[in-house]
Amino acid sequence: MRIVAGVDVGSTQTKAVIMSDNGGLQIIARALVDTGANVQRAAERAFDTCCRQAALHTSDVGFIVGTGYGRYKIAFGNTQMTEITCHAKGASFLCPGTRTVIDMGGQDSKAISVGPKGEVLDFVMNDKCAAGTGRFLANSAEVMGITLDEVGPLSLQAKHPVKIATVCTVFVESDILSYLAQGKTAEDILGGVHIAIAKRTLSLARRLNIEPEITMTGGVARNKGMVQALEEVIGRKMQVSPDAQFIGAIGAALFALEKLDQSFEFGIWRGEHAASGGH
Amino acid sequence: MTDKKEYRGSIHQRQKDLMLAWYGQLDQAALTGTPPTVSMMISGNCVELLEGFGAVPLYPEINALQLAIRHQSLDPILAAEDLGYAADNCAYVKADIGCLLKGITPTDGKLPTPTLILCNFVGCNTYLKWFEHLAKFQRVPLYVIDVPFMRTDEPSRSDLDYVVNQLNETVKRLEQLTGRKFDYDRFRQAVECSSRTEGLWSQIKHLARRSPSPFDAYFDAITLMGPLYVYRAKPEGVEFFEAALAELEAKADAHKGVYEQEHFRLVMEGPPPYPYFRTFRDMFAKWQACAVASTYSTVGGLWEFGFRHDPDHPFESVAMHMIAQNVTNRNLLQRYEQIRRYVEDWDADGVIIHFVKSCRLFSAGQGDMRDYFTKQLGVPTLYVESDLEDPRYFAEAQTKNRIDAFFESLEHTKATASIRRKV
Repeated sequence: MRIVAGVDVGSTQTKAVIMSDNGGLQIIARALVDTGANVQRAAERAFDTCCRQAALHTSDVGFIVGTGYGRYKIAFGNTQMTEITCHAKGASFLCPGTRTVIDMGGQDSKAISVGPKGEVLDFVMNDKCAAGTGRFLANSAEVMGITLDEVGPLSLQAKHPVKIATVCTVFVESDILSYLAQGKTAEDILGGVHIAIAKRTLSLARRLNIEPEITMTGGVARNKGMVQALEEVIGRKMQVSPDAQFIGAIGAALFALEKLDQSFEFGIWRGEHAASGGH
Repeated sequence: MTDKKEYRGSIHQRQKDLMLAWYGQLDQAALTGTPPTVSMMISGNCVELLEGFGAVPLYPEINALQLAIRHQSLDPILAAEDLGYAADNCAYVKADIGCLLKGITPTDGKLPTPTLILCNFVGCNTYLKWFEHLAKFQRVPLYVIDVPFMRTDEPSRSDLDYVVNQLNETVKRLEQLTGRKFDYDRFRQAVECSSRTEGLWSQIKHLARRSPSPFDAYFDAITLMGPLYVYRAKPEGVEFFEAALAELEAKADAHKGVYEQEHFRLVMEGPPPYPYFRTFRDMFAKWQACAVASTYSTVGGLWEFGFRHDPDHPFESVAMHMIAQNVTNRNLLQRYEQIRRYVEDWDADGVIIHFVKSCRLFSAGQGDMRDYFTKQLGVPTLYVESDLEDPRYFAEAQTKNRIDAFFESLEHTKATASIRRKV
């Protein structure tokens, strides 16, 4: 039995999973913690939580791959890979047939063209601007005095979504305040916010060839309003796994498994796990 | 894989000596008024003409990048912004104007007030304003050579005549300003020297077609570009490039590359982020990725495809160089073709486009360029963004993330190709 882990240290949250191939490849533990200021500590907490959940000692884990912005701070990891490569791998594992990944995280949004074995063919990311990311949503929620978990369901109740002209994460606050002053409902404002982000993300993804199946990954994938807004602007359904937020960590764990099995020179790229499915 | 590497060969030391000697001449000119100096822009520079007067070129761009590479560019940039220059103005302009305002030079020596500000206006509209401002601040005469942009594959006869006439006018103007008579024989010898230097430089660039390449045609080429623009038309330039060619040829013959193992071969498009030059280089060194060709090293002149200055037609060849044989004055389709040739003839694995936030000239159209190479030619192409002079635009984590992901993907492409070959 091989036991491996993937730890994804993102700008906002840190995700860890432990996977085992005992009786079929499966996720046996997952943990989510706020990254905060101490990146190394966040990685340790997430990994330790996973180990406790799976009733394992840290030394039972054969290989650990770190990913995300804080990947080089994971002192206990065996190696690091970018979250771009890991998201492609993880999405292909959870949602076989994935050809395009749209990842919306706390400060990043990216679109990835994925090959049949879960390999990255091309990618684009937001640059120097947090429009189209979770931060845009978080700021909108904050200015309206509601929690981040509420914004998605409320946006789905919009009857006449407002037009959000700005793409700036900071200036969206004044746009929202202006609409509130005009007496617009929270639902219509949030509907507009979601459409604005979706359009921004689509313009990013259009730099690639958007091919089905499209899989949405990252923390924002939990927001049903965002998923619907994106599907509307793209004009196509997306695959969204319940583990969407953990896909980077899952991809990292899959690479850890392949790193552990060095029987083949370029084994990490064979993609046999994607082919066998992962649910 | 190592994160930090030493990249220096003996040519790096020779380069340093030559450039310090140049700054020494400029210091002398500042103190004594001799030799006469002329401010010019690098792109399609006509340094040969200056030799006819024994004049020394003064390149504001070199001064600006020297400051950036020493992490000293932000103060002058802020000084220029205090004066009213906008955040998205060319950062070279702001650094240079800021230096002038604050009396900063790239060395401990002084920089002279130039005899003439010669705006050899090649491809970049911003330079026109930059040099107008310099002329105003320094109270120095300005002469603008209006170089027609490349609208077609070759310049027309009237384009060439138009520039030659302006070169003749420049000669008259310099005769008035320097009090020296234009020495045509010396000019012709300078053109002859340039022709020889260019031949050597071209041979050096073609050495990068070997595998492994004996030098990095982006990061190391930048080291060689200073002497190319300052000394090209002098015997010292010929000697320098003979020595550089000998050193690099010996390295290539011994199959010594930039890294222990050359893992990736790249074509680089765009100027480098000078404030983080070493950091940026290390990001490629980590992957043992060597640039085998670059467009930036053809800003001053494009010689690897055969063009040479011609001592039998000195004025015409200087005009041809200014109009057609430097990357900045060529149209985007010509730049695409240049990069495509590099990818094929220099056997590259991919293209890196470094978008420069404050340089509209070099960066306009690079999004389409990326699409052209990835979608139409199937060449893996990475687009990263920062600035050539302003340190505020460089996001190390973001840049590193993109570069690492690009190489992870490229590694897969190479690995699967290798497996296919074995099967």
